[in-house]
Amino acid sequence: MNVDALENVLREALREEVEVSSESLSGFEQRVVAEIEGRRPRVGVLDTLRLAVAPTHAGRVGQLAVVAVTAAAFLVVGLWVGDRTPTAPAAVGEIATLRAAAAPESLEGSGPGKPEGLVFIVPALQAESVSVVGSFNEWEPTKLTDEDGDGIWTATIPLPPGRYEYAFIIDGRWWGQDPLADEYVRSFGEFSSVRYVVGGGDGV
Amino acid sequence: MYRTQDEVSLLRASLNGEVEAWGEIVTRYRDAVFGLCLGFLRNRADAEDIAHDAFIRAYANLRRYKIERKFSTWVFTIAANLCRNRLRYRRNHPVVEWETDLEGSVDPARAVAREDRHKKVRESLTQLPYAYRAPLVLRFYNDLSYHEIAEVLAIPEGTVKTRIHRGKAMLREMLEEERDVT
Repeated sequence: MNVDALENVLREALREEVEVSSESLSGFEQRVVAEIEGRRPRVGVLDTLRLAVAPTHAGRVGQLAVVAVTAAAFLVVGLWVGDRTPTAPAAVGEIATLRAAAAPESLEGSGPGKPEGLVFIVPALQAESVSVVGSFNEWEPTKLTDEDGDGIWTATIPLPPGRYEYAFIIDGRWWGQDPLADEYVRSFGEFSSVRYVVGGGDGV
Repeated sequence: MYRTQDEVSLLRASLNGEVEAWGEIVTRYRDAVFGLCLGFLRNRADAEDIAHDAFIRAYANLRRYKIERKFSTWVFTIAANLCRNRLRYRRNHPVVEWETDLEGSVDPARAVAREDRHKKVRESLTQLPYAYRAPLVLRFYNDLSYHEIAEVLAIPEGTVKTRIHRGKAMLREMLEEERDVT
């Protein structure tokens, strides 16, 4: 089969399988609309104006650059502290440092007997939303919060000991290489981070 | 009423809370988004589920859509990201039976008339790794340019070209192998 023939057959085959599914798609629009009616988002005149003025992408590029630089700075601080605490695994040292910087109150009550889990910390100064998706939440977003507006987004997820793959979604964009990760894996054409939760009071 | 309106008017009406306007957007893009999901996921139930979710999420995030960007590319990006997450989930939670044969609900006369090679192409596509399958679907079902595919999949344009070229070669190999066997 030559290239043109293959492309045509592929095109036809893909269209055909959508056609044969049209029966099960009847009422699709109504189902979408019904669900939206059930949980309307807060949109209004300001949002309309925002759409109308059509801002550029330049701001977003700058924002990503700030995120990258800040992440690198956090990594350096984390590694430095990790080196100075030889009895603790480096990753634990980094997490403790970032936790102290981001949410000191979260350290209260930590220690043996506390449930294990993962603390996620993302410096994203101008982000509008930050979520984490991973093997622990079926790759459905769990929102990180930045209650004090300092650009440090955090989430704490209690988890049993195990290996967890995850990535952050920062304003809709995949961010798979968390500086706090134990390792990285590449799948579906992009990186994800991996962290391990161990037992014995190292958790959240 | 909405049939005669252009896309930007519909999107502005949707932002103002006119859900019926969004319903018209869904009608316009339903097959394109569902076809993308079906092509990526190779499972009809999952594709319906994810296409539905994609339109819900697009509406919920509509205030973040930049009007200078092509709307189809934006909504395809949302759908592609959701598909990828579903595939990750399926890696650990496989379905009992993958629907490689999609002809179950077709009337017999139509099924007989369908060319066998279409079915073989679909089966081969199912066996292709996602990294090659996704660009092929966006190129040959959604008719996107290399630049748009790069945007949707968040990979460089050169990588898109390579993967489409390599994906087609892999498909051809699979089809020829099957022909030699039969």
